[in-house]
Amino acid sequence: MKRSEILGRLLVIIGVVLVLSVPLAVHFYNGQNIVEIHGRVAESGGWSPSSIQAQVGVPLHLRLTSDDVMHSFAIGQSDMPPVDVAPGKMTELTLTFDKPGTYTYYCTRWCGPNHWRMRGVIEVTGDGSDAPQPVTPPLYMTLHLDIDAAHPAAVTPAEKPSTLRGAASAALLSAGYLTPDYYLSHSPAQSYLDLRADAAFSSLNDPEVWDLVAYIWQSNTTSERLVEGQRLYAQNCAACHGESGEGNGVFAAGVKAQTGKLPANFADPASMLGASPALLQGKILRGGMGTGMPYWGPIFNDETIWGIIGYLYTFQFDEGQR
Amino acid sequence: MRSDLTRFPFVKSLLKNRWLQLLVFFVMLAGFFFAILSGFAGTPVGNNNFGIVFVWIAWWAILILIAVPFFGRGWCAVCPIPLPGEWLQRGAILEPPARKPHWLDLRWPNKMRNIWLQNLTFTLVALFSSVILTTPKVTALVLAAMFFMAVGMSIVFERRTFCRYLCPVGGFIGLYAQVAPLELRVKDKRVCAACKDKPCYNGSQVGYGCPWDAFPGGLTRNTYCGLCMECLRTCPYDNIAINTRPFAADLAKPSTRMDEAFKAFIMLGAAMIYAGVLLGPWGALKLAAYSVGTVAWLGYAAAFLALIFGILPACFTLAVKIAQRFSRSSAPQHLFAKFATALVPLGLMFWIAFSLSFVLTNATYILTALSDPFGWGWNLFGTAGVAWQPYFTTLLVPVQALALVGGLLWSARTAQKVGAEVKASPIPVIVFCTLTTLVMLGLLL
Amino acid sequence: MLVGLAGAVIAFAPLPVRVASPTQRTFRVEASQFAYNPAVLTVDPGDTVTIELVSTDVVHGLYVDGYGVSVTADPGQTARLTFTADISGSFRFRCNVTCGALHPFMIGKLQVGSNTMLWRAIGLTVLAALAAIILFPLPANVKTA
Repeated sequence: MKRSEILGRLLVIIGVVLVLSVPLAVHFYNGQNIVEIHGRVAESGGWSPSSIQAQVGVPLHLRLTSDDVMHSFAIGQSDMPPVDVAPGKMTELTLTFDKPGTYTYYCTRWCGPNHWRMRGVIEVTGDGSDAPQPVTPPLYMTLHLDIDAAHPAAVTPAEKPSTLRGAASAALLSAGYLTPDYYLSHSPAQSYLDLRADAAFSSLNDPEVWDLVAYIWQSNTTSERLVEGQRLYAQNCAACHGESGEGNGVFAAGVKAQTGKLPANFADPASMLGASPALLQGKILRGGMGTGMPYWGPIFNDETIWGIIGYLYTFQFDEGQR
Repeated sequence: MRSDLTRFPFVKSLLKNRWLQLLVFFVMLAGFFFAILSGFAGTPVGNNNFGIVFVWIAWWAILILIAVPFFGRGWCAVCPIPLPGEWLQRGAILEPPARKPHWLDLRWPNKMRNIWLQNLTFTLVALFSSVILTTPKVTALVLAAMFFMAVGMSIVFERRTFCRYLCPVGGFIGLYAQVAPLELRVKDKRVCAACKDKPCYNGSQVGYGCPWDAFPGGLTRNTYCGLCMECLRTCPYDNIAINTRPFAADLAKPSTRMDEAFKAFIMLGAAMIYAGVLLGPWGALKLAAYSVGTVAWLGYAAAFLALIFGILPACFTLAVKIAQRFSRSSAPQHLFAKFATALVPLGLMFWIAFSLSFVLTNATYILTALSDPFGWGWNLFGTAGVAWQPYFTTLLVPVQALALVGGLLWSARTAQKVGAEVKASPIPVIVFCTLTTLVMLGLLL
Repeated sequence: MLVGLAGAVIAFAPLPVRVASPTQRTFRVEASQFAYNPAVLTVDPGDTVTIELVSTDVVHGLYVDGYGVSVTADPGQTARLTFTADISGSFRFRCNVTCGALHPFMIGKLQVGSNTMLWRAIGLTVLAALAAIILFPLPANVKTA
């Protein structure tokens, strides 16, 4: 065989082998000590992997990419801002955990009706108290509330109550009505009945008593928390519950088709005013029972959930600033 | 009007040089296997995958906008798909070896010595195109399948039977190559008549017989010459010329072949359907084209086939029959095929107009895929982060309009030349071309 | 010569413009994989156009060719895009956030005023056909090259 022929064959064979093997080798090398997470819509498997091991104090290097649509990556109950996970692009992130435990990672950009199911866990082991932390049961359990039962409001107002008008009569309120315990364990309708039965307010007409209820509700939150609540609502709840809270979000019809029930209508006084914050917290923490409502326990801490709940009531009360 | 490029010794030696050709082949082959690798191993997101971007945007743009209109079968000259199979078949990568290997060397059956199979393979690819164009793994599968077919056929049959009779792309490249201002022909037919061994067809010690199963001495059209330059090397009388010539010189001798005529209809119809389905605002059509296997897709496929094999040829037949009524001419079959020649420049311009939109809208992906071919976060050339945006949108519409109007003028002229030869009026065919042009304008603009 | 003149007229002569006073128009456009609904929006030149983009399944974008303006909407969060339609013609708008396989083909059309380009092109097409048929027919027994 001529030398040129041998040379030619070598060129072709070596060249093709290199073209095929070098990228794979580089990719493999780059992948050492990094966990590559692929995001896919829940129907295609969600996060892959969906379970990761890590150690306290040891940086966990992640590379994130989406295999289909826009997703994002966030860690539940942490204040790390979410990181966009774009299709066909790679995002790098390093996490370091100071405490052992189970951390949930989840997607924060709606990617379909099952978006909320797109979750994974990072099991962090290592020193730091390995002793199991005492768990306080959520308030609805302490109060023995059946959060799956219907909660119709015994009374509803003739018109939307106003917190601004309620502020006018606020001086009449005794301290007992303004404690967090009272707020958390009473529904607005129950509070109305309490106020109506209390002689101190006999001079007020019914709408004015409702305004007082609205005032009580608003006093349990702040405007910053309402803004944050609105942001979280828009990001996590509006897709099903609707931007106007009426249970008519873009996925509402799909939820109804799958479960037979529409998402809750926060603008409906008959049901919303019969729900206490504790009840709402229970629903948010635990989710569904076949209603399609996600469980947010691993995602939001209590503080955040109360903030969202405070915002939910603003669909019922006209506070002049919505 | 013809000018032989090989009269420049530098050009001739470049074209005959096997090392230079091998270098080009090597780059193409590397790119081809790289595309298959990225299709299988890279991100499933089409826009960020080298396989999808470099096949359906970069390569397609170069093919339909430059290679075919200006170089005819120029792509075939450098295509990597048949190479490994051909090297196996020949037993060498460069000059012919001392001992030729013996594979099956079967002759392609006579009944299939036409482009009907290519019409079929192109139609198949077209029916599944929404999935192929958008799914990296599927593109990789199609490329790999073509590769393995080519290798298999090289081992079983003689010459480049995959290229000549099966390749879905080769069907239309050959048809539209007739338009190109470049051709390979012999200088003097009398030299060929006197030549005993015909090494251009049979091969010799310095080169291989025409892999395209063409007799260079008999070439009158570009349709079946793959510009591989073997005959330039083997001809002992230096009788092969690579000529520049006016555009569409081949269309002056209209083909009488029905397979080629139907190829023209397939291309015309496919351009119109792609313009409507891919570039139009009708989401239901796109979903129907994409969801292979569903009833909607079957409906889409039926409509597609009805258009290219039924409606368009039927309307054209009507036009031809009307022309025949008012003429004194030959058998209808030949009229149909000859007048179908007018659809060659028309179809080419349809595809150019369609492709311009598709390519200019998505050209930025070429930059990103170059730097990050697998979607793994690489940035080889610093262009991985280039934001998507369409290029030249204001120029696009006038250029498309001019291309389509130009295509109509060109096809009208071609129809007139055919009409003059067959002594039948070209007007009905010109009307057909005008109507289809109007449809294409409505779909694109 | 005449044909060339006619062609130039068709291509470049200013067409009578229907003068409509610019108004405010708002369109609620739903985006889903892989279509917009409504997919064709018609406005008059000079109108202030607001597009309320409502994504119904995944994150989608809307980018208007020719204007270069765009907006992105997550499901549950209607996004608004406002611009003045001061360029006349037919423009495609497309999704600019990868939203699945057919993302590059997720297309709608914005019609600002009349589609003069299309009318001119149609005019040129008909002119070309007529020129070929009437003005420049080849004699029946011409020998072709």
